[in-house]
Amino acid sequence: MASNPGAKQKPALQSKRYALDDVAAAQEFFHSRGWTDGLPVVPPTPQAVEACLEWVLMPPDQLLGIEPVRQRAITAEKLAVNAVMAGCLPMHFPVVVTAFTAMLQEPFLLHGATASTGGCAILVVVNGPIRQELGMSGTFNALGPSDRATTVIGRAIRLILCNLLDARPGDVDRSTLGHPGKISYCVAEDEEHSPWLPLAEERGIPPQASAVTVLAAGAPRQLMNEWTTRPEEILDTFVAEIRANMRHYSIWPGNYALVVPPQLRAHFERAGWSKADIRRYVAHKARVRRSEWAECGKGAVVGERGEREYAAFTDENDVLVIAAGGPAGGFGAVIPPWYGNKSRAVTMAIGACVDCTV
Amino acid sequence: MRIEVLDPSHESDVREFKAAPRLASLNGTTVAIMSNGKKGTQPFFDAFERELLEGHGVAKVVRLTKANYSAPAEPELLNEAERWQALIAGVGD
Repeated sequence: MASNPGAKQKPALQSKRYALDDVAAAQEFFHSRGWTDGLPVVPPTPQAVEACLEWVLMPPDQLLGIEPVRQRAITAEKLAVNAVMAGCLPMHFPVVVTAFTAMLQEPFLLHGATASTGGCAILVVVNGPIRQELGMSGTFNALGPSDRATTVIGRAIRLILCNLLDARPGDVDRSTLGHPGKISYCVAEDEEHSPWLPLAEERGIPPQASAVTVLAAGAPRQLMNEWTTRPEEILDTFVAEIRANMRHYSIWPGNYALVVPPQLRAHFERAGWSKADIRRYVAHKARVRRSEWAECGKGAVVGERGEREYAAFTDENDVLVIAAGGPAGGFGAVIPPWYGNKSRAVTMAIGACVDCTV
Repeated sequence: MRIEVLDPSHESDVREFKAAPRLASLNGTTVAIMSNGKKGTQPFFDAFERELLEGHGVAKVVRLTKANYSAPAEPELLNEAERWQALIAGVGD
């Protein structure tokens, strides 16, 4: 076949290549080098990685950011290799790229969040039309393995942390206790069955744009209240869980996410409560006194400030309300922040350019 | 069937770190101790400070504390640390 001298040559992938006998050999090769989360991976062939890069129109060496503590450059190619391993198709890759770019923003405090003994995972919340394009479901089994796209996107984030930032257990990841979200922690907001503004839109993303919000987060704490229809009482249950976290874990204010499934959402809708109303109520009520620590074994650190009041939120906009969950059941969940407001939730539109100047 | 796969790790993008020059002796030096800011560092570094002063001839110990124990030290702390002959960084819970 005659070559076309005018054709633009595709930039070459830079990653080291290995020739292996077969897929089974690839599994052992990757496991033996500590490149997996313990589950089988999809072998990252050059063709699969190039397909991801072509989908997002990025060259392999596209710099997405530099992790500031280790000064490590994060390139599109390396994200793509890990995304393929996690099971991502090219169509999933824009979400992975945006989520990790958001994590690299300074307010997120990426190194702290991934190195801490506190054992958080990175929650990725997806909004906008891309959820439907990818078949992401924010209904049954939300926060668990709800669908293919949700699972593989969350898993890609973890593999990237392990392989590009060495956030493996006992290496950079110093977690005393992890939680199951460290395998994959992703949720698509159920915008179709919600009367509320999507989370990303509330946080400044234009309507109809797809976006991700990343949060350094503890495990979901599930709650239930099927014995009232009053918004205040439903929210008192959420507040009780936030207060429990402040008493048992960390008193510092930060981004708490509230996951509200349809059965509870219906009561808010009937009462005309918006997400803003919820945020206002929760931010006002979620407080503890330092003296309460004495009730749960932490009396030694109450000191002279027992009457001092601590709020879970310094700003009501720090309450992240997410519509998600299956249709039946008066359940909900509170997802606590890793370490107060030292790490901030970051929301970013998919396809946005972080460093572009107008 | 043989397959070709790509390395998922950071590969060569590893920053080189060099150990600071070793001191021949601590005698008469000023040593900074930088705490990550956690409560548990206080009694440990108090004892450590005494050990340096009484057991190793250190002339002065300067105590520095990071503002955020999960973030890198502030540039002004690092600038200050350059004034002393040795810096010991420590974490504590």
